[in-house]
Amino acid sequence: MGKKKRPSGTPSCACCTEPSVIYQQHSHRHLCSTHFIHDVEERVFQGIENNAMIRPKDRIAVALSGGKDSTALLLLLARHLQRWRDVSLIAVTVDEGIDGYRDETIKAAEQVAEKVGVEHHIISFQDLFGDSLDTFLKSREEQACTVCGILRKKALSEAAKKNGATRIATGHNLDDEAQSVLMNVLRGDLPRLVRDSAADTSDCFIPRIKPLAEIPEKEIASYLFIQGLFPFLAECPYTRFALRGDVRSMLSGLEHRNPGTMLRLMESKKTIEKYLARSSVSDPLHRCRQCGDPCSGDLCQVCRLRQSLGR
Amino acid sequence: MKIILPDQGIRVIDQSPASIEQILSDLRINPLEVIVSRNGTLVPEDTVVGADDEIRIIRISHGG
Repeated sequence: MGKKKRPSGTPSCACCTEPSVIYQQHSHRHLCSTHFIHDVEERVFQGIENNAMIRPKDRIAVALSGGKDSTALLLLLARHLQRWRDVSLIAVTVDEGIDGYRDETIKAAEQVAEKVGVEHHIISFQDLFGDSLDTFLKSREEQACTVCGILRKKALSEAAKKNGATRIATGHNLDDEAQSVLMNVLRGDLPRLVRDSAADTSDCFIPRIKPLAEIPEKEIASYLFIQGLFPFLAECPYTRFALRGDVRSMLSGLEHRNPGTMLRLMESKKTIEKYLARSSVSDPLHRCRQCGDPCSGDLCQVCRLRQSLGR
Repeated sequence: MKIILPDQGIRVIDQSPASIEQILSDLRINPLEVIVSRNGTLVPEDTVVGADDEIRIIRISHGG
């Protein structure tokens, strides 16, 4: 840092004379609100182009929880798709049934979908699986994120399929991605570490895209705050049971003390992928004997979970 | 200066001027887990703030 301070005590933007709103560790630059917003948008748009995330005539279902990442994702995709006339966007919100939490985030999701002007669909665990997450988790709260993750993924796929989507876009940011790499290493789960959810297996799954995967969480929060769109929402009550919470604190501490840690972790993942043939660590795809969904074993995760929940 | 903490608690500190970095460090808050505004405007952590400023610390890491 060490840049000359303006009288207000805030360093100037690296691109103009305006006061900065953020210091980007990765670019070693202070940026004002205008240049920062432009920088984030260009990086996201470039990432979409470079990784061929969108194809002509795609119908993209944005997984919209109402939280900051999915809100930013919807705004960014809507802006990007002004360049694509034949690509359409819808928003899908999963109502897991979390008392005292999800109602507020659904309201936030409805507001942002209306602001952006996209079709919005809400799918609930109650309708799809017969009960709310709160009910499923009675006396097994410590399994909350595993149970919710499996059912939410299924709900999202069902809603996307029902509404004719050809891509599912999720708001995973750089921090989320780095946490997932570390969690998969800690669990010794090599197949999951190298699994590519973006691979075009449209006969089995709707391909997933993660346009924010290279943007740090702090930049996403800043991007929304500057535009007056940061959603001030409560934290999910089940977060305290998650391994991810511990990994998140550890990684952000490491990143603070050793800038670039998260990017290096992502580079390590790419290197491992390069040297590993995916088929050599992943089981071939089968069909679940109960529901017919594609899966790696005899039963898919949802049917296995339903069995263990006695459903 | 007045500091609004992530839990909405309020703290008034005499130390002025001070950098946001120093304030966060004193509060044992990792700057990567929050964004900080001064009088409603987002500021980087090396901003030096004064006695009349209102600082708001907003936690960003949430499960969703």
